[in-house]
Amino acid sequence: MSVRPLLEVRGLSVRFQGLLALDSVDMTVPPGQIRGLIGPNGAGKTTLFNCLTGFYRPTGGSILLDGVRIDGMPMHHVAALGVARTFQNIRLFANMTVIENVLVGAHRTIPVGGPDQLRPRRRHEQRLAEVAAQLRGLPGGVVSSLVEIAGALVRPPAWIRAEREAVERARRLLEAVGLRGRENELARNLPYGDQRRLELARALASRPRLLLLDEPTAGMNPGETLAMMDLIRRLREEYGLTIILIEHQMRVVMGICEEVTVLDYGRKIAEGPPEAVQRDPAVIEAYLGTKFARQLRGGHGTP
Amino acid sequence: MPDLRLWLKVPPRRDVARRLLPAAAVVLFALVPAVPFFTDPWLRVFFLVGLYVVLGLGLNIVVGFAGLLDLGYVAFFAAGAYLMGILTSPQSPVDLRLEFWVILPLALLLGALVGLLLGLPVLPLRGDYLAIVTLGFGEIIRILLVNLRDITGGSQGLAAIEKPPVPGWQRIDEPWQWYYVILVTAVAVAFLSARLRDARIGRAWEAIREDEDVAAAMGIDTVKYKLLAFATGAAVGSVGGVLFASYIGFINPTSFTLQVSINVLAVVIIGGMGNTWGVVFGAFILIGVPELLQFRETSDVLERLGWLRTALDAPFAALDALAPFGVWRVPEPETWGRLVADKRFIIYGALLVAVMVARPGGLFPSRRRKLEFEAPPPSEVAEPSALAAGGSQ
Repeated sequence: MSVRPLLEVRGLSVRFQGLLALDSVDMTVPPGQIRGLIGPNGAGKTTLFNCLTGFYRPTGGSILLDGVRIDGMPMHHVAALGVARTFQNIRLFANMTVIENVLVGAHRTIPVGGPDQLRPRRRHEQRLAEVAAQLRGLPGGVVSSLVEIAGALVRPPAWIRAEREAVERARRLLEAVGLRGRENELARNLPYGDQRRLELARALASRPRLLLLDEPTAGMNPGETLAMMDLIRRLREEYGLTIILIEHQMRVVMGICEEVTVLDYGRKIAEGPPEAVQRDPAVIEAYLGTKFARQLRGGHGTP
Repeated sequence: MPDLRLWLKVPPRRDVARRLLPAAAVVLFALVPAVPFFTDPWLRVFFLVGLYVVLGLGLNIVVGFAGLLDLGYVAFFAAGAYLMGILTSPQSPVDLRLEFWVILPLALLLGALVGLLLGLPVLPLRGDYLAIVTLGFGEIIRILLVNLRDITGGSQGLAAIEKPPVPGWQRIDEPWQWYYVILVTAVAVAFLSARLRDARIGRAWEAIREDEDVAAAMGIDTVKYKLLAFATGAAVGSVGGVLFASYIGFINPTSFTLQVSINVLAVVIIGGMGNTWGVVFGAFILIGVPELLQFRETSDVLERLGWLRTALDAPFAALDALAPFGVWRVPEPETWGRLVADKRFIIYGALLVAVMVARPGGLFPSRRRKLEFEAPPPSEVAEPSALAAGGSQ
């Protein structure tokens, strides 16, 4: 263990009144890994994702992203640190166009001509940058808000440049996931598979280090599933991502995950390479142990 | 193709229409006072319509863009109007002798500040709860205006509010002059709000409207952007208030009732949320038409509809002849306009219901604008599975 883990979850617990959704879960993910997160329905997989993105505040334990504690942080701070996700039930901005969805994902990466982005060229601009730097201490981002509004209204060349670069990057991302030429369609008018791909592009737009995919192949036919697996692998290489994915299709888990974590009733019951986990008695018990569990399993392919 | 062309290039044909039509419309509107037919009463009605266009566009930032249902918009309108009143009316205790042009930017600031004040406590609220709290806020402001008698003149209000001076000329007072003031303001607000919408801030607002949680997960500081929506919309409302107070010259709390909030909201919803032309149309239908119906000219025109009245009245006349008691008769046509105007709130209600049922997006739902870049040519080889494409990117 010479490499510092990108994600370190220690003793994470979440309690909803009487229900212990997560029970001191530990998980360590090294950078660059594709990690599978599996378990029967209601095992706490999505709850774990919600903790990792800051949507839930855990009732116990800690989450470290590259050594920085992120549990209890507001969601947009977590996102700024490089965590992005997709959703099990697709949640696009339905009434916005395809490219606008990606541009919203890129929100943090678009400079608005604020003090940070001011590139001083002449002496008075240098002076301006110094004053701006002093003003940054003002509460509530008043200055950055004013700069953003002023920029949008006046549209100086730097603003146009930033916006144009963002649009071009969004187009490249759309091309990477295979949505070229659909930029101006409304997100809600896309077919199901394309919506999943758009969610992926939107998540990538924030330049994440850790990408959380909640059932990326749900509802896809075998051909589409293979293509998606391919895409996930390729994106990991291209963008240097660490990926955690929740998945029910064993074929996908076996195919692309380097390690698998298994949750059941909020507890981690197994962890390791997919082949080992597949043979783990505790996992077989969780999935197949009783007749009831066997019936449940029938529903896994189509959540 | 050089990068600059991408943004500054001659837009595609569709976009030419999108840019030329508003310009042509503005030129047409600018010519209106030159037409002898439009006498001063007409221009006063148009001023009112223009004022509601300004207010509608302001509220649209809050309701249409950010999806925050605000039923207390009149509070910001009142803030601007009373700022103008307090600073220039001889009846107010404040005697700063500030001119209209100084007060206008002050009103922007004050509006934004009041917007933030309202925004802070209601931030955690969504949907219906937000609507109810903002409704209460609007009423609080009105009651404050009644009770702060020393400053606001209570229910007596403030009179003799200054008109805007024009350097080297007289003060703006004639209806045609005010018509141009409101036209310029409305065009400016429309232009600026469109620029906000098509920028990062506008996308953040729309993302919050669509799904607040996901917007936050995308790195958007939802608290900040919701406050900004309130503040921006409020600043516009406040400017509208300054114009109104200066135009009317006299304000009291009865001008700032819940009815104003509802009218502005109806203008936005009926016209089509997010659409500038929708707001213009909505203001004309809801604010302009009821006024025009009460015009003498309208009565004169209606008077010629005596035959229609005879036709409509025939069954009633027949019934009247038979019945032992008096039967309702269709009134004289020249009074029809006033009748409709008097019943306008029933008509508003019916119109709102009809629009919501038939066209939930408003009469002119906002069309999605295209981002101005050239669509890439379709790739030479159509890939059966698009997922496999684009690996080189």
